[in-house]
Amino acid sequence: MEQQNNLLSPESIAMVKQLLVSMEDGDLEKAQDYVDDLAEVRENVMYQEIGKLTRELHDSMNNFALDDRLSDLAEDEIPDARQRLAHVITMTEEAANNTLAAVEESLPLCDDVLTTTQSVEDEWKRFSNRELTLTEFKTLSETLKIYFETNSNNASKINANLTQVLMAQGFQDLTSQIIKRVITLVEEVETNMVSIIQLAGSKSKDTDVKKNKNENYLDGPVVPGLESSGTVSGQDEVDDLLSSLGF
Amino acid sequence: MAIDKKMKILIVDDFSTMRRIIKNLLRDLGFTNTEEADDGNTALPMLQTGKFDFLVTDWNMPGMQGIDLLKNVRADAKLASMPVLMVTAEQKREQIVEAAQAGVNGYIVKPFTAQTLKEKLDKIFERIDG
Repeated sequence: MEQQNNLLSPESIAMVKQLLVSMEDGDLEKAQDYVDDLAEVRENVMYQEIGKLTRELHDSMNNFALDDRLSDLAEDEIPDARQRLAHVITMTEEAANNTLAAVEESLPLCDDVLTTTQSVEDEWKRFSNRELTLTEFKTLSETLKIYFETNSNNASKINANLTQVLMAQGFQDLTSQIIKRVITLVEEVETNMVSIIQLAGSKSKDTDVKKNKNENYLDGPVVPGLESSGTVSGQDEVDDLLSSLGF
Repeated sequence: MAIDKKMKILIVDDFSTMRRIIKNLLRDLGFTNTEEADDGNTALPMLQTGKFDFLVTDWNMPGMQGIDLLKNVRADAKLASMPVLMVTAEQKREQIVEAAQAGVNGYIVKPFTAQTLKEKLDKIFERIDG
């Protein structure tokens, strides 16, 4: 150690020897001076060490405070993440409701197709067996006309509902993009926590915290209520922007 | 001129759910000849076989992103004139402008409707015919 080295330096040893000589000579004043000099050597070493520690602490605190990424995380990104996750809940809920609504509307339509088919089928069998009177045949042909119309309507409604179910599944892509972003954020918070612990626990040597966002970072879906400057709010604005570019 | 419903369409998206949605919507519109790829790196060699007439691509994908796929397509003499429709959640103005400058033929933001897809396809074919 530096302190011991200084204390054991030839200069210090010479001082001690001179101290001993002056004490044997009974020269109190000189002896006192040597004791003071020796004490000064020790104090200097101690002050240097304290100074060094103070500087390190100061630098560490400064680095810590200047790390914008940390305050960004705490002030903006964590609340952002909360809102993103809340949006995921909204989107999954909407998808589930849209799907359920389409299914609930379609099931009675299918039942309708089934029951009308069955009733027409009975009459049709009688017609095939030539059991129908002319009046009954006229009724059947009227029934069939309605049956065709109804079923064609039902089929297109069911088709539209199935398309609605299909479109509702888009939530999986969009929510995954949002959740992936939150996972990245959690990883970054973890890395920063580790370096805070290093800083608090010992003299941190490893300050290579991942500070900057990934270069390849894309914004992904816009989350309502979150700041999203420079974004369009929907397909209409995309169309307007593109037509302003001559599209 | 009528749209050739037999044209071969490549759908590129990293999410299989979205590929299926687009594939089903296209089938509903009469386009049954589709294939899928999960990012630009997979899509580009498929396109370079010369089998495809139309490209529908996402932007944000691991590997090669949609915008780079578009640029590669436009830079390839054999593919340069292929119509490209981008279907993406990216809705920054500068990105839409970038895609337009890179030569995209249509840009749809997610979530979208079946009607939007139909309109954009119609518009693209109108322009090609006109």
